[in-house]
Parts: sequence; C-alpha cells; structure tokens
Amino acid sequence: MTIYGGAVDELFDDAGRPRPAARELMALLDRLGHEELLARQRSTELDILTMGITFTVYSDGSNIDRAWPFDVVPRIIPGDEWRRVERGLAQRLIAINRFIDDIYNDQQIISDGVFPANLLDDSVNYRPECRGIRPRHGVWAHISGSDLVRDADGTFYVLEDNLRVPSGVSYVLENRAVTKRAFPELFEHQRIRPVDSYTAELNRLLLSLAPNDVEWPTIAVLTPGIYNSAYFEHSFLAQSIGAELVQGSDLVVGDDNCVYMHTIEGRERVDVIYRRIDDLFLDPEVFRPDSMLGVPGLMRAWKAGNVGLANAPGAGVADDKCVYAWVPDIIRYYLGEDPLIANVPTYRCMYDDEREYALDHLSELVFKPANESGGYGIVIGPRASDDELARVADAVLDDPRNWVAQPVIDLSTTPTLIDGELVPRHVDLRPFILTGERSYVTAGGLTRVARKEGSLIVNSSQGGGSKDTWILDGVIDEVDDPDAAARGADETQSVGGQTQSGGGQTQGQSG
Amino acid sequence: MALLSRVADHIYWAARNLERAEDTARLVRAFQDLFADLPIPDEQVNGLWSTLAVVAGDSPSDLGEAGVVRLLVTDRDRSSSVVYNVTAARDNLRSTREVLPREAWQLLNDLWLTVTRDADRAVERHFRGRLLNRVIADSRGMDGVLNSTMNRDAAFEMWRLGRYVERADMTTRVVGVRAASLMRTAPREGREYDEVQWMSVLRSLSAHQMFQRSTRNAITGTGVVRFLLYDRRFPRSVAAALDEIEMSLARLPANSVVMERLAEARSVLRSTAPSATDGSNLDMAMERVQIAIATLDVAITNRYLRLDSTE
Repeated sequence: MTIYGGAVDELFDDAGRPRPAARELMALLDRLGHEELLARQRSTELDILTMGITFTVYSDGSNIDRAWPFDVVPRIIPGDEWRRVERGLAQRLIAINRFIDDIYNDQQIISDGVFPANLLDDSVNYRPECRGIRPRHGVWAHISGSDLVRDADGTFYVLEDNLRVPSGVSYVLENRAVTKRAFPELFEHQRIRPVDSYTAELNRLLLSLAPNDVEWPTIAVLTPGIYNSAYFEHSFLAQSIGAELVQGSDLVVGDDNCVYMHTIEGRERVDVIYRRIDDLFLDPEVFRPDSMLGVPGLMRAWKAGNVGLANAPGAGVADDKCVYAWVPDIIRYYLGEDPLIANVPTYRCMYDDEREYALDHLSELVFKPANESGGYGIVIGPRASDDELARVADAVLDDPRNWVAQPVIDLSTTPTLIDGELVPRHVDLRPFILTGERSYVTAGGLTRVARKEGSLIVNSSQGGGSKDTWILDGVIDEVDDPDAAARGADETQSVGGQTQSGGGQTQGQSG
Repeated sequence: MALLSRVADHIYWAARNLERAEDTARLVRAFQDLFADLPIPDEQVNGLWSTLAVVAGDSPSDLGEAGVVRLLVTDRDRSSSVVYNVTAARDNLRSTREVLPREAWQLLNDLWLTVTRDADRAVERHFRGRLLNRVIADSRGMDGVLNSTMNRDAAFEMWRLGRYVERADMTTRVVGVRAASLMRTAPREGREYDEVQWMSVLRSLSAHQMFQRSTRNAITGTGVVRFLLYDRRFPRSVAAALDEIEMSLARLPANSVVMERLAEARSVLRSTAPSATDGSNLDMAMERVQIAIATLDVAITNRYLRLDSTE
C-alpha cells in the first residue's frame, strides 16, 4: 500500500498498519483474499444495475441512466470523532440560517458592520423578492449538504456549504444497502451507525412546514423531470417519505393563492413542497419568465403562508463561496460561540490585500469562481499550465468579487479498488444536515472518491466514484500498549455480543 | 392520496406496453412452433410468417421470417416490437417509481437490461425462444408482484385498465392473423392444415388447454373464434378483458362517460358474428371490435390521463 506524501489515509496509519477502526475490515479482507474481494465488488455492481440505482448524464444520447459508480471497500470514521463533527455542522447551519433570515429582514449584521452590504448587490443567489418574508422556525436552508475534507494534519474542514438543492443523500442510503449485502459479516459484530433514519427525519421536518390549519398535510417533491441528473434521488425520496413526485406542469396555483395538483379526482391541495429545482426556475411570475419547469404563482402562495417550501427561495445567498469566508464570523455573531468545525483559509479577491496575496501565489492556490457548483471552473494552481494560470489571473482581475482562493488541501485518501488493485485515492465527504425545530446530521454522509491517481476531483459528473461511510462506535484507540490492545480486543468482543440483535434489527429495517 | 393525472398516464401506458410485449412474444413463440411442424415448402412457410405482420397493423407483404422477427421482436424503433415495448414500459415506470412497489421496478428494469442486451441474438431461433419465454414470465411476474404487494388504489386500477385494454385489442389482432392467412390461401390448397393453424391461434393466446377443457369438442374455426371473443371464463378472451375493465372502472371516480363507451364496446362485440372461414369477413369483424376498444381508450384518456380533465 503506497501512501501519498502529505495526505493521510483514512484506514491506514503512517506505518501502513490498519487504524483501529479499520482492523476488523482489514482482517476480513485478508481472510477473504483478493479474488473474493473482486467477486464481491462485481456482485455489488450487478446489484446496482438491477436495482436501477443510477445517475443521469446530460447529452448522453438515448441511454441517459448511468449505473451509480460504487467502490465496495467502505470508508470508516470513529464515532467519537464524528460526534464533534456532528455538533459542528448543526452549529454551522443554525448560524447560517440566522444569517439568511437576518439578510432578508432586518440586516442587523450589516448595520453592525460585521458583513459588507455590497456583497449582496452582486450575489447571484441573493433574491430581493424574498425581503420581508419570515418562514416557519426562521429557517431557510432546511436541507443542506456541506462538503468536508480531511487535511494532512487529520483535521476535518468545511470546504463548501450547499444550501440550495444539494443531492446525494439517496446514494448514502443505497450505498449502505448494497454494502450490507457485500459484507454481512462486518455488520453482525460491529457498531456501525445506521443511516436510514434520514428519511423519517426528513418527513418530520417537511410536515412541520405545513400551513397551520392543515391536519394531514400533503407533501410533494418537485422535480425538473426525468432528464435531471438527480432524478433518481427525487424519485427515491418521494418513495421513501410517501410524497407525490410532481413536475411543474402537475401543479397550479388557484385564485385563492393555494397550490393544487392535477389528479384523476380533480385538483387536490398541496401543503408542503420539497423543491428540487433552482430558485430562478421556480415561478415564472417572479423569476425567469421563460421557465417551463416551475409553477406560476408559487411565490404568491408561499408568501401568503399557504404552502411550505423547502428549501426557501433565496437560501442560496449563503452558499456563495465569498459568503463562505464569513461563516466563522457569522457563527460568532449570532451564537456567541466559536466554530466547532473549521473553514479552509480563504482569500477573498474582492479585498485588495487578499487578492494581491492570491495573485502572488497563483501556482500554490486553488481558485474557485464564487457561484459555480459541481467542481466546474475550478483552477488548481500547482497542476495548472502557465497559460491556465494567466487566464485565471485575468479572470480574477476582471471580476474580483466572483473569485476566492484557498491553499491546496492534501485531501485524505482511502483504499479503493482500481483495475482490480486496492490503491489509495483521494476522498471528500458530504454529510446532510436537516435544520428545523431541531437539527439532524446524517451518520456519516456521502464519501466521494476521485478514481484517477492523484486527482482531487470527486464529482460523479466528472468520473468520481462513491463509497459507503461507516461511523463506527466502540473503537478502542490505544494501539501501542499491548495490554490495552488485549483489553481492547476483549471489550470489542463483548460489545459485539451486546449489539448483535441491534445490528440484526437495522438490517431488517432497510430494503 | 389522489393519483396525479400524469402518473396515471404513465402507469396506464407502462401496462399497455408490457402487455403488448408479452402478447407479441406469445404470438411469435406459438407460430414459430407451428411453422417448424408444417410439412410444407419453405416459401409457403415464409408466406405464413408474413401474415404475422398484421398484428403490427401492417399489410402482410413478403417480410418472411427475418423481417417479421425484426418487426415484432428486435427492432428498437418499431412500436410493434417486443424490445420497443419493454423499453417503453420501463421508461414509463421510470417516471412513476415512487408509486409502484420497488420490487416491480427492479423486475422490469432487469428484464429491460436483458432484452436490450440480447435483442440482436434473437435472429437465432433457439435463443429467440428463450428470450420470448423470459419476456412472458417476467410480464406475468410483474402482475404477481403488484397483486401481492401493491395497495388497491387508483394507481393499481390504472395498471389493470392498461393491461386489459391492450389484451382485448391484442386478442382481436391474433385472430386477425388467422384471417390474413385464410385470405392468403385459396380455399382448397392450404386448408389441409386448417385445424393446426387454428390450434396455433389458441396457443398464441395460451388458450389451447383451456379451450379443450371448456368445450370438449374438436377444434373448429367457429369454436375457436367464439371462445376467444365470448367465453368470459377464459381470461384472455375479449369479453373477459371487458369484464375486468368494468371492475376497475367501478373503483375509479367519475366514471360514467367511460362506462358508456364500455357498454358500447360490449354491444359491438355481441353483434359481431364473424365467419371462421371467410378471411375478409373475419378481418372486418375484428377491425370493428378494435375500433370500439380504441374509442374506449380515448374515453379513458380524456377522463383520467389528461390534466384538469374532470367530468
């Protein structure tokens, strides 16, 4: 097993020994042998194909579904470490939501001089149409997915927040389902936190957004349709929470400013919409008039309090990569607490001194356009040609507000099957955070893996793969003291015995 | 929860597409067996193959075996083929996955993977037989999954409506194949295998055994046609399909206009007394029934499958 200089490996320590949390897994892989591991990888690929777990690629001819790329070897994070991350994410999203609510109402943070007003003027995700609206619980970004990376020092950093229509959670659940089939041995004895409570929590959150007078709210998931890259997920979530999966054309806003869907029994009221289409396409009366995906009048209905919308239009104002740089200040300002989970240091090119630093260090930094997603437009300094560097420098000078720069993070690696060999590949992690009356963080999240050697681009739209992510409780950490190791072994055994029935239960629950 | 009209549309068509694929697979399988048995010259066999084209609404020109197999089994672009219909059924279900049990989607998705991968090998008779068997078995499997795991809600009734509308139509088309072969052969020369050919019509609808049990008579053209159109005990007869359609309509809201069209289709069926020896008479009779079923389909579409289409 080769380890990249700088990057830490999630499953192996610097000496190449399995970390405590990975010991059972590695012992099993040793017992199974290489051929059996490959056989299990192949059989999960077959499962994925027949279960129809897919993602959609644009402009791919008639065959628009691609099988979801999955690597059978899980990524493992110790439970006690995860508890800190969980608290940090909940804290972060509570503060971000206070910020969004403030921005669309009193703008106290601007009058207090903590956040610069001019950032709003040219933010592409700021929606002046949302001024003065106060959604339920004061929450705008109900469902978010923050991308985490682990640097060479082993610390988790938040790389970006996705507050608009983050996708991937269905694959967290599906990856677990296929991994349970691949390694049933490991689920019997280890305390791996289950992930499937997500859909119940999502359902509870969406129900809490229904208008007050509705006793049995109808929830709909609003999708752009089968050609959207995340259509599988839209359908999966609707199925899992018993919601209707609707397209814009299925909905109509009546003269009473309520939202209805066309059913075989006529029009039926919709109380909560989990919308998976972008703000700008949501309502042609207010945003893009040419949108065929949206519902004319939806904003009227929302403002009148006749329908709950998740996420609220305008929530994206806070996932701008410039606003990102302010999140630590935002946490301190609203909550009076220090951030529990750190930001990657970020140079904001709108400020002269930070821009100058960034331009002086072109070849060492990563340059990101503020309002792109999916990894598009990113220039990685150390890997860019002189030409590319010159072009990004021009782009920064041309529109400084649209650019931030960050040091290159030595993303951690984890063992991944490539061409039949287990080799280290870089990973990130996208946990999903629900914020409403209370907060919920998925146990782990979606681990995305860059399949090319040395590559840092993990997006599935650009050839990235994925892994099941285990939050493993009951891991004994002392390795150097042989007595402790012996005690640890005993303890693990008894813990395993205790949780056996629990483990069986969770396996039975998911399908 | 009320059913979205768009979703109703997709489920109805998924069911029609799958029924079409299954019925076409039965037809090709049965005639393949027949033609292998008939001790007649090859060019005559090829002529008989060509008669199968009428189920696609084509005139039975001289397609021969290869042409018919393309038209009815492998051609991805012809709406008459098994591959086209399995693909269309899967595409329709893809946008209604949240309504049907997941197991049903997986079954159909798996069938689609197999059929699209292996379609080109279906030129070879032995392999073709296996492929057709798979389509028939999985289509039946779908109903098994739905019957045993799906709520009896409007979505379920939409599925049944699609199934039985298509089945009624396909049964008349299979009888139409026999009409075409009667028209093709002069009364004396080809009629020596009359009984065998009617037997294949029965086999195309998996009706041979049930026909024998129910009539206890020798196989005659008149007996077969009567059985396939009117015997309500046999689930692939037109009358039985119309009974099933009525049962589903009765569980759907505001059904009066559609029920009227159903009653008309029944009376058209009753008043049809086709000849089992005169090909063109039989052909026209089947066409009348097909038009009545198409009218029923239009009524279902207008009432349930269009947005804002309440009575």
